[in-house]
Parts: sequence; structure tokens; C-alpha cells
Amino acid sequence: MIARRTFLQTSAFAAIAAAISARGASAAEPLGIALVLPSPLGDVGWSHTLALGLDPIKAAYGDAVTFTILENIAEGPDADRIMNKAVADGNKVLIAGSFGYQNGAMQIAKRDPSVTVLHASGFMVAPNFSPFAAKYFQGTYLLGMAAAAVSKTGKLGSVSAFAIPELITSVNAFTLGAQAVNPAVEVSVVWVNTWFDPAKEQEAAKALIAQGCDVIFSNAQDTPSVIAACEEAGVHAFNLNSSMKKYAPTKYLGCVATDWSPFFKASVDAHVAGSFVGANAFLGVADKVVAVVDWSSDIPAEVMTRITEAEAKIADGSFNPFTGPITKADDSEGVAAGVALADADIIAMDWHVKGVTTPLPQ
Amino acid sequence: MIRLVRRDRASRRMAVAAPLLALFAAILSNLILFVAMGKDPGAVFYALLLEPFMTWSGFSEVLLKTAPLLLIAQGLAIGFRAKVFNIGAEGQFILGAIFASAIPVYFPQATGGWIWPAMLVMGAIGGALWAVVPAFWRVRLNANEILVTLMMSLIAVQLLNYLLLGPWKDPMGFNFPQSVMFQYDAMIPILFPGTRVNVSLLLAFLAALLAWIYMQRSFGCYQFLVGGLAPKAATYAGFSQSRAIWLSLLIGGFAAGLAGAAEVAGPIGQLQRSISTGYGYAAIIVAYLGGLHPLGIVASSFLMAALYIGGDNAMVSADLPVAAVRVFQGSLLVFYLAAITFVRFRLVRTGGAPA
Repeated sequence: MIARRTFLQTSAFAAIAAAISARGASAAEPLGIALVLPSPLGDVGWSHTLALGLDPIKAAYGDAVTFTILENIAEGPDADRIMNKAVADGNKVLIAGSFGYQNGAMQIAKRDPSVTVLHASGFMVAPNFSPFAAKYFQGTYLLGMAAAAVSKTGKLGSVSAFAIPELITSVNAFTLGAQAVNPAVEVSVVWVNTWFDPAKEQEAAKALIAQGCDVIFSNAQDTPSVIAACEEAGVHAFNLNSSMKKYAPTKYLGCVATDWSPFFKASVDAHVAGSFVGANAFLGVADKVVAVVDWSSDIPAEVMTRITEAEAKIADGSFNPFTGPITKADDSEGVAAGVALADADIIAMDWHVKGVTTPLPQ
Repeated sequence: MIRLVRRDRASRRMAVAAPLLALFAAILSNLILFVAMGKDPGAVFYALLLEPFMTWSGFSEVLLKTAPLLLIAQGLAIGFRAKVFNIGAEGQFILGAIFASAIPVYFPQATGGWIWPAMLVMGAIGGALWAVVPAFWRVRLNANEILVTLMMSLIAVQLLNYLLLGPWKDPMGFNFPQSVMFQYDAMIPILFPGTRVNVSLLLAFLAALLAWIYMQRSFGCYQFLVGGLAPKAATYAGFSQSRAIWLSLLIGGFAAGLAGAAEVAGPIGQLQRSISTGYGYAAIIVAYLGGLHPLGIVASSFLMAALYIGGDNAMVSADLPVAAVRVFQGSLLVFYLAAITFVRFRLVRTGGAPA
């Protein structure tokens, strides 16, 4: 008994000693890539998708890269410290996976020009700092068409995380797509003001269903909370980022999937080549970052044909869902007839289109 | 049969050995966990236990985290010793942050050296005001302060959300629930250049000193303790019972509010949703780990902060999942609580006959 305890002790100390000496001697440094995530790394959702986006880098670079994945990091001073630590440990590419990391990540980028920072959903840009966001609206427009086609009540709902432009646009495009099939549809939104609170999200979904909504858009939830509640209640649902079909086998309408690997890979390639230039990366179907997958077989064939046509036009750039005339929810003009809204205006959108009945939180 | 028997006097030897025993037991049990997970236990323990002290930048982060824990725990311990249980330091912390933020939110262009001290004063007042409600209800209506302070914390979170989603939202912030970034003069001066440690660390040590003087040296404190511990005896002696309740809650709220103000005017630099990572609750543990003694709390807040920083390090450097970090931190506390039992109790082997 005593012998075993001594052995364990000795081996622990030996391991500590080995770890310390390993720190001293490091010859050919592999490129360290750190990914900081706001929620637990689950089987589905935002954080899961970001982590998957690293796979092609792994495949291409092999042992020449190392990954440090930091999950469930609350936005705030702790996140700043953890990012600082990751960079101090020698990571040269930092992927900050949530808006709230912006200030801390930008400080790191300014302090150390040799570090490349990719930041989700932000608006700040620096020579070594790129914000990135997905054109979810391209996919939600298509799912809006599908939603209007399968809805019997003409009432659609969305459980949405935060009233930020990225998610406002996804609700707006969803509404416009639905109106393209049924001009009379109405869309209700519940802003839950959290990225990760399954119980609250589920309650919001149930409230929308109780109001008569029979298609629910799970707008940026990181768990199948909303999707599972809808399956249980027997209404159709869809979500962003990664497919949750297994949680709603009969009522799953589809998924606006994101694949960050083309962007991550290109950014790391540029970092290695020394040619990285920070820029606002607003990426969509044409960039192969956004794609709708797992279409439901409940969608009528003629609507599905229209959806496929619209999808092709969005992919080749000949159609922008935000093409006027678009009226705002307050009846003022949003986009003039014949005008297609530019990316810069879409990124900053802070109004709802007519048809969204819930006012934006002001 | 083995029984716990109360010692005639607390064992000094056990008091010293308890933390070491706890640390040893936690390391041993988690070693098994880390090996089973396929992690290199040497690298994990290095990151968890040694790395916070190996570099100045790492150590400075420990000090940064010590300040709010120390400040809040000192305030709470005063009440806990008089058996007035303020569990709502989290809410008082949030109110402190809100009150302090009012200055930069309404006067974002203001300059001058008065701003950050004024914010700290505002924060302390805000925290104390939030504690007025439970104190009043306890004294007048005999409402349990544990429940009221706890529920006041839930209200504080909603108030914070309301302000950030509504009137105090940064107009240029793309609708994100956060205030404007504070101007330079609304930030507490840094104590050591190149780190994030600010003047609030000095305030925390000052609070510890004041608490020590108060607890050890004053007759007022004696009256106060009796008022909380033995209300009837206090009434007999002419001491006020409600005075103990008012003072406990107001001092606790004051300290927590000050810590909240120092957090937004320090490392955060704006009012946002996640201003606290549970400091108000962690400080309760810190207060008891420190034996409710002002000097013990200095040590326990420092240890707790080091444990947090070590946990973060283990995630970053040793690839340890966040859940395993929590298991280690939790098991260390459990072993410590088990170990300190033996300061006042000892094991006695009895004849074997069931009692």
C-alpha cells in the first residue's frame, strides 16, 4: 500500500519535472491555432461547427499545426485572460468564437502583429484582425419559402438569441421568403437574450406554438432545445449551423448549415505565407460557407422547384433576397424598388421588414 | 466502530495540516481521473498548481482575481460571524457595477481625476442600498435574510438585463446588450504597469485591515456579535439586535458594491451582461475557508484566485476539458471541508459493539 502510494507520488513528480523541461526545449515550433468558444463543445450547433471548420487544416498541415480548443468560456475579463494565455503559450492564430470577445481579441491583435485573429460576428477590423460572419439570410430566405408552404395557420415563429444585425437579417429574409410563397404570413419573434439557455429557449418555442405558430425558426440556439420541443408539439422547425434532424426525425424542415473550413483554411494559408490582410469576411452560399441541407420531404414539389431555382440564383449572385421594394415594419420604405441592398447595409441592419409582428427591442 | 469525538480544544497541528492533506487527497484522486482521460498528469498539475506562480503576468492575474473575492468575503464574514447570512452578495455586486456605470454612461465625455473615485463611491452606495431591503424586512417583518438576499440577486440580474437591452445600450454597439466603453478617466489606475492589477487590490487589503481591527479590538464588535448570536441575551444587556442585522447587511452590501464598481471600472471597462463570474457566491466559500477570520480570508481569497487561474491555465496549456477543471476545484474544496472537521474533532475507535 505504502509502496504504491510512493510510486504514484514519485511518478507524479517525475511527470511534473518532465513537463517543465519540455517547456524549455522546443525546436521546430508547429503553428499553434487556438479556438475560443462561448458554449460547451456539443454534438451540434455553433461551437461544434466552428471546431469542425478546423478539420481541413488538420488534414493539410498534419503535425505542423497544433490546436487548442477552449470551450464554454464566458465573455468578459476571464475570456481576455484565457486568450492572452493562449497567445502567450505560443499560439499564433486565434479564432475568437463570439462577439463578446471583441475588445480583448483586438487588444491582442494590436499588441502583437505576428498574431492573426479571426473574430466571429464583430465589426472591428485591423491588419491582422478579421471579423467573420455568415450570410445566414441567404439560407433563411429559402427556408421561409418552405415554411410558408407547409404552414396551415399562416403564422410563423422564431426563437432568436440577440437582436443583433446578423440575426435580424436572418429573421427578415425568412419573412421575405415566406411572403414570396404566401404574402399574408405573419412572423412572431421571441428574443431570449442568451446564446445558451436550453430551458428558456424551449419555453419560448412553446409560447410561440401556443400562439398558433406552426413553423418555428430556431435562430442561433446552440442546442436542439427548440427543435426537440417542436417535434414533441408536432410543428415543423429548422435551425442554423449544423443539422439537428436526429432530434426531430418527422418534423425537421431543413438546416441552414455553415461550414467555416474554406475561410479558416484560407486564413491559415495566408498566415503561413505571411500574406494575411484583415478584412470583413461576410460569407455566404457562393463562398461555400452557407448551404441548406436536410430538406424535408413535406415541402410540396412545386415549391421545392422554386426553392431550387432561387438557390441557384443566390449562388451565382443574380439574386439578393434584400432586393426592393421592401417595406419596414413601421410602414416606411426599407429598400427602394429595384435596388439590391449592399453587404455593408445588410451587416448593419437594425429594422424589421413588414410582416414581422414583434417590435424590435429598443 | 469509529466515532467522531469533539476535541477539548482545537488542534493547531491539524489546522496547519488540513489544507495540505486536502491538497494531497485532491491531487491523488484527480491523478487517477487525468490518467484515465489519457492526459499527461504532470503537465496538468504543473498548469493547475505551479504555473500561476511561475510568471509575473500569471501571478498578476491571481492578484487581479484576489481583489474582488477578498473585498466581498471580508464584508460577508462580518455578518456571518453574527449569524446574519447575506447570500446575496452577487446581486449587491451587480448593483455596485450598475451604480458605478451610471457616471460614464450619462457623462461619456467627462474628464478628470474625480471620476473613478466617484464611481467606486457610487458602487458602494448601490450595493449597500440593495442590502437595505433584506435588512428592513428582517428587522421589521422577521423575513429570513437568506431567502430575501438570494432573491434580490435574481432581481439584480433582471435589472442589469433591462438596462443593457434598453436605456443604457451602446447606440453604436449593433444592438448588443452592453454599454459604451468607458472613457480613460472612468478606469481605475493600474497598480503595476503591464498588468491588469488596479488600485482596488489596495482597497481590498485596507478592508481586511479594518475588518481585523474591528473584529479584534472593539467593544462595538462584541455588542454586535452578541446581538446576532444571542438576541435575547443582547436585549438583556441592552445591546440592539437590529443593529447587528443592519450593520451586517449594509457592510456586506457596501463591500460587494465596491467590488462590482471596481470590476466594471477595472478589467472590463464597460457594463455588460457577464460582469461577474459568480464572485458573490464564491466569496461565501472564501469567507468560510478563511475561518471567518480577517487574516484567514486574505489567505483563502488568494488561494481561491490561484485555483481559478490554475484551472484556466489547465484548459489552455494542458488541454484539460472545463468539466475536469471544475471536478478538481470541487474535490479540493470537499477534501478541505472534510479535513478541517479534524481540527475540532478526532476519531475514536470504540469497542465494536453497536451503540
